[in-house]
Amino acid sequence: MTTAHNGTLALRVDRIEPVTPEINRYTLSAADGAWLPPFSGGSHLTLLIDTENGTRRNAYSLMSSPYDASMYQIAVRRIEDGKGGSVAMHRRISVGDVIPVTIPANLFPLSKHARHHLFIAGGVGITPIFAQLEELNLKGGSFEVHLAVRGPEHATLGRELIERYGDRVTLYGDGERGRMDIAAVLAERPLGTHVYVCGPARMIDDVVDRAHEQGWTDSHIHYEKFEDAGSTGEPFTVTLAKSGAVIEVSPEQSLLEAVEERGFKLPYLCRGGACGECETEVLELDGTLDHRDDWLSEKDRASNAIIMPCVSRATCSKLVINA
Amino acid sequence: MLITGIKSRPVYDQLVPMASGLRHIAVAQGSGGKPVLRLLAEMTAGQRASTTVVYSTESFTGNSYLSELQDQDDVELRVVATNSEALQALDDVLSTANMGTRLYLAGSEGFIGTAMQVASAYGLDRDEILREHAGSFVRRVWCAHCDTYTENVTTRVFRCPGCELDLVVRDHYSSRLAAFQGVKADGEVPGELPEIEELDT
Ligand code: FES
Repeated sequence: MTTAHNGTLALRVDRIEPVTPEINRYTLSAADGAWLPPFSGGSHLTLLIDTENGTRRNAYSLMSSPYDASMYQIAVRRIEDGKGGSVAMHRRISVGDVIPVTIPANLFPLSKHARHHLFIAGGVGITPIFAQLEELNLKGGSFEVHLAVRGPEHATLGRELIERYGDRVTLYGDGERGRMDIAAVLAERPLGTHVYVCGPARMIDDVVDRAHEQGWTDSHIHYEKFEDAGSTGEPFTVTLAKSGAVIEVSPEQSLLEAVEERGFKLPYLCRGGACGECETEVLELDGTLDHRDDWLSEKDRASNAIIMPCVSRATCSKLVINA
Repeated sequence: MLITGIKSRPVYDQLVPMASGLRHIAVAQGSGGKPVLRLLAEMTAGQRASTTVVYSTESFTGNSYLSELQDQDDVELRVVATNSEALQALDDVLSTANMGTRLYLAGSEGFIGTAMQVASAYGLDRDEILREHAGSFVRRVWCAHCDTYTENVTTRVFRCPGCELDLVVRDHYSSRLAAFQGVKADGEVPGELPEIEELDT
């Protein structure tokens, strides 16, 4: 398996396919030809993209099969008025280029207890669902997909899913069917249904509100939380007790990523605050910890003695961890 | 080491109407009728109209709230004679229930535990369920040697009806088995039993 250097894998672009007027699909493999690290459905990668204004760190969901370790696939929508990362992916990157990419992390995992999985997506939001469906299809889970697109020329990915999964996939806005009625999609679902929504913020809010109206509890509602749960925020400084290294964590990277970038290793599995693997002792703290994981108990959080470096941050003048 | 504080025992709630739910199912046994009556009294007319109560008159203490429950005529009531029938009725109701349902459980620890197993099988999560303990804290015990479950155990040491071994009831509650574990009491020194005290919980 290919290994990370300074926190990133070197991945080569093998193929670039336009799938809609705005979206390209990229197929990546390890530049050294080795197997890629495994991932679970719903995981994303962060690409370090060179642009005219420095390096951009953009997160993209993995859409290839979690059971294929020979390649990763992502879809990138070009955002003309964005920070330039997606435009660089479309205009500067070509087949054969090597891009530094972080190890997959999952902030959008499937529920293990669901009796039925209901996916609602808009546009490029369908990408994490590709990998989740591969997982469910192999494990035999019950699911259905509702995908809204902005017109027939934007429906390629949806049509691919229909080819694979038939009438378990419903496409809206492709010219054949009208708008998605979210309340109707959520109505009268059997107990144990879980909804996953991935798309524009407006769509996520809409699904959450409609689900609450119909009495769904939060444990059954899942959405991709790149901005709020992914680790971005104010910069801070961390000291590693064992080596004495003083490391700056920039606004766009996690504590774990910053430590890895400097060539140190910390244990990890999910990189999404869920598995507990990266738990690290806090030796000194002058300030407050910003716990963003789903792992620590309330008591652990209040103790200020443990941190999950894959997602959590700190607002502090001093932070020393036992690493 | 066997008998220490019970950390694994569930922490119980108080039954109060969960206003975000659209449909309410309350399942109670024996003394559990009392918290359910309190719950119904706190509900709005609309909530009561969308509530089903399953009540089992099987009780260790002999307490029954049947007639009070029967007086609640705007609430759908299903009465059964045994706890196992109550679980069957719960299974029935859940099989046709939709998302938006809230479940309320009240009764002995063993009853709540086994009802939780039914609820989990339907994918209900902790934020859709409230549980209130009522009546005596008798224990449901699983024999680690012959796999027999014994309801309503009140003493620290008892004889397993399955394998006839004297078992000591450990303080570890398994939510998977919905029971406390019973292990051979004279496992360390044959013939030497711990004191047969009352279980204080
Ligand atoms: S790596 Fe899983 S919680 Fe941090």
